[in-house]
Amino acid sequence: MTVDLSVKIGKLILKNPVMPASGCFGYGEEYARFFNLSRLGAIVVKGTTMRPRPGNKPPRIAETPAGILNAIGLQNPGAEEARLRIGQLAGYGIPVIVNVAGNSKEEYLQVIQTLEKEEAASAYEINVSCPNIKAGGLSFGTDPGVIYELVSLLRAATKKTLIVKLSPNVTDITPLARAAEDAGADALSLINTLVGTAIDIQKRRPLLGNVTGGLSGPAVKPVALHFVWQVSDAVKLPVIGMGGISSAEDAVEFLLAGASAVAIGTANFVNPLVCPEVIDGIAAYLQENNFNSVGEIIGLAKKGKAG
Amino acid sequence: MRKQAMEIVQQEKVGKDIYRLTLAGGLAAVPGQFVQVGVSSTADPLLKRPFSIHYCNGSRLVLLYQVTGRGTNLLAAKKEGEILEVTGPLGRGFPLPEEGRAVVVAGGMGAAPLYYLLHALKSAGRDVTFLYGARTAAALVLQEQYRSLVRHYAAATDDGSFGRQGPVTELLQEELSRRPGVVFACGPEPMLRGAAAIAAGFNSRCFVSLEARMACGVGACLGCVIPGADGRYRRVCADGPVFAAEEVFPA
Ligand SMILES: Cc1cc2nc3c(=O)[nH]c(=O)nc-3n(C[C@H](O)[C@H](O)[C@H](O)COP(=O)(O)OP(=O)(O)OC[C@H]3O[C@@H](n4cnc5c(N)ncnc54)[C@H](O)[C@@H]3O)c2cc1C
Ligand SMILES: Cc1cc2nc3c(=O)[nH]c(=O)nc-3n(C[C@H](O)[C@H](O)[C@H](O)COP(=O)(O)O)c2cc1C
Ligand code: FES
Repeated sequence: MTVDLSVKIGKLILKNPVMPASGCFGYGEEYARFFNLSRLGAIVVKGTTMRPRPGNKPPRIAETPAGILNAIGLQNPGAEEARLRIGQLAGYGIPVIVNVAGNSKEEYLQVIQTLEKEEAASAYEINVSCPNIKAGGLSFGTDPGVIYELVSLLRAATKKTLIVKLSPNVTDITPLARAAEDAGADALSLINTLVGTAIDIQKRRPLLGNVTGGLSGPAVKPVALHFVWQVSDAVKLPVIGMGGISSAEDAVEFLLAGASAVAIGTANFVNPLVCPEVIDGIAAYLQENNFNSVGEIIGLAKKGKAG
Repeated sequence: MRKQAMEIVQQEKVGKDIYRLTLAGGLAAVPGQFVQVGVSSTADPLLKRPFSIHYCNGSRLVLLYQVTGRGTNLLAAKKEGEILEVTGPLGRGFPLPEEGRAVVVAGGMGAAPLYYLLHALKSAGRDVTFLYGARTAAALVLQEQYRSLVRHYAAATDDGSFGRQGPVTELLQEELSRRPGVVFACGPEPMLRGAAAIAAGFNSRCFVSLEARMACGVGACLGCVIPGADGRYRRVCADGPVFAAEEVFPA
């Protein structure tokens, strides 16, 4: 008996609930040398801004206990060039989700307008963790009013699936999740990285050229899981869960906590085959526990609560 | 390029804090490429460590590494028979010249990938000079191994405990004034910049192998970039680690 791994995210039907996380998989070409990308539920490409961005000055990576800090600074080739690279992914026959970034509402809109005609771009994931220049650099993702305005603007510009990627660097995430839902988002994804820093005590200076970076990897998993649990309770939208997933067991935890799909970031760096391994592992878990479909376990841990 | 589990067949101490690690399993690589090695089976430390290919053939992979921190300490504690997860070969290696002489310059642990390069140059029948520099005599590990592969050999140490006292780049200056050739260099960045400047003075082509902190090692995360001579960033793992000197060092 084969299990049904398919899930629905907005207008997308994913053949399985596993995708790489944005910024951790480039445009796919590097990992295509390790496995056939058509195995993935979807592919999520690098954060894309309107114009090319050079990114932050190095060092950009610092290893921390069971995690990494990164300060890439959204290095990307800009929307026009990204469009070409996304077009090259069409052959894999899987949805391509474009992570969209900007420093103004207009920039997000321009990126979407540039990609609207690219058929291979199936969905947008709006990274609201970027600094909003008009608000003095405060991130879009911290104010429900700003999220509502941004998502409404983008909703009017596209019929494609619109996913809002929430930042964990907030006091209460639920009003932000509801604002995205009210403005017409099709799904939410979380978590982005947690703000952090690390210091080289010999050189007595920060390890990252940018001083601060974003924490990801196994270290953030319990935090991410909690956010997924909370947000999937607060909204009706499907949630794509991520943060520290390195194995099928980790992925199943997110599904049980209420995620409809999962994304894998940092773990790709450690194990280039982690995505296909997690897909196989989820199928094996379902089979061993007599489930027919992945849908049966989404949010299942909430029914039992403790015990 | 793939991920494979490789068994340790030999772990030898060849100098103070320096080990030669032989793994069973084939790898088809060009000199200058590297591998990422898992040093822990737990999530901490998380990242694989990048090491140059010291030597490889159809049945074994040899690494030469120095213990400098937590990950390399864990690696040095591994015993024969243990299994390591290895991803590779990664990156772009040294371009082998069609003809002519080669001058290969090593600074300290920078010698590691050059051994495989010397092998390839020897097989191609090239006339090769190897210049080996280090802080002190004890850090000039495996000298006989390198010497046996080349026609001309010279060493230098900062403290004068072996060979010429002074930077290995002085030997390069003298060598190029006697016999021109393509320069291949690996070592600390100041040494590489020095070698590139000297090669430029003789109109010799120069290729340098660089290091950077890495996460993915395959070109996907943009974590390992360095500014190129044109100011645009290059990924050390995928655009390098070997670069034409003029691509990364401004003239
Ligand atoms: C392409 C390439 C080839 C290399 N080849 C060799 C080799 O053949 N032999 C050898 O002895 N060393 C080599 N190195 C350096 C080696 O990767 C580091 O010494 C090693 O990663 C140190 O790990 P650690 O945990 O012991 O040190 P720690 O300082 O505890 O490491 C902390 C973090 O910094 C990173 N790091 C530390 N030093 C370096 C460095 N010099 N370069 C890149 N990342 C670093 C580690 O990978 C780790 O993520 C190479 C590096 C690169 C980039
Ligand atoms: C190197 C790196 C680059 C990233 N780039 C982006 C990006 O461009 N856009 C984005 O929304 N998230 C980005 N992220 C965040 C990841 O997509 C993901 O949300 C986060 O890393 C948590 O998942 P993980 O623990 O599995 O990595 C990046 C993360 C890393 C480590
Ligand atoms: S280490 Fe990821 S791009 Fe080089």
